[in-house]
Amino acid sequence: MATKIVPVEAAVRPGRGEVANGTALASFLAAGIGAFAMGFVVVLNEAGIFAAPAVYAPAGGVSGRTTLATMVWLIAWGLLHSRWKGREINSRRVYLGTLILIGLGILGTFPPAWGLF
Amino acid sequence: MLFTDRSIWTMLHGIFLGGAALMALSAVLFSLYSTRQANGSDVAAPSQASMLAWLTVFIAMMLWLTVLVGTYIIFPPYRATPPPGLTDLGQYPQSLIQARPDTAWLHAFAMESKEHAPWIASMLATAVAFVGVRYRSRLLNDAQLRSMATTLLAICFALVAFVALMGIFVNKVAPLE
Repeated sequence: MATKIVPVEAAVRPGRGEVANGTALASFLAAGIGAFAMGFVVVLNEAGIFAAPAVYAPAGGVSGRTTLATMVWLIAWGLLHSRWKGREINSRRVYLGTLILIGLGILGTFPPAWGLF
Repeated sequence: MLFTDRSIWTMLHGIFLGGAALMALSAVLFSLYSTRQANGSDVAAPSQASMLAWLTVFIAMMLWLTVLVGTYIIFPPYRATPPPGLTDLGQYPQSLIQARPDTAWLHAFAMESKEHAPWIASMLATAVAFVGVRYRSRLLNDAQLRSMATTLLAICFALVAFVALMGIFVNKVAPLE
């Protein structure tokens, strides 16, 4: 009796072939953009340049800042996903860019760093 | 009553949701580390990849619930303004810790950090969860994707552990009761 050999990926996701790395990199880079947006919005608020309006008044400005950054993240993710879906992308540059954006984003939300801006 | 509603929400936020996320993050990071392949030639078991993927989905869900409960349920009573002339600030944690010079840093540093950084952790966890579900075993077998996912989850873990510690400090001095 002949045994049918099934590729690992097909066995995990029947009916789907190998997925190009563009979808994954779009997701990672979008998270970096979202992180950067969060830090950037916080720095703008602390510098008195831009204060995002509160979405939920009892929570104050934090509700507006986090909502704004979340929207930037989701929009960036949607745009990158539509452009990179099904494509193989050079992951090194995206990896580096993502880490830099995350680092800047975290720095922006870190109170001792606010004095630097 | 042993616990007030506000105290129960605080425990749900910090211990149940945040604690579950931290434990699951530890499990995923340990799993990613212990199953790493020296030459990249081995193929991770599909069932293992599937379990890891759903564990990252669990982490993302726990983190989003943690930040939403924290921002929209815990934070409003924390920052509420006490009526003028009130001397017992026990019901107003922000005012209580800002009233003393030796605890003022708990708002200026600890709580200000807690307001935004956990949202970044949630975004990172969501990105990895999406990739885990979409790519399954390729996430474990592709060295670059695996490295990126591990790095993002490690950053996520550090952020969550840090803000959790800050939360413990704030709650120790000015519990939401």
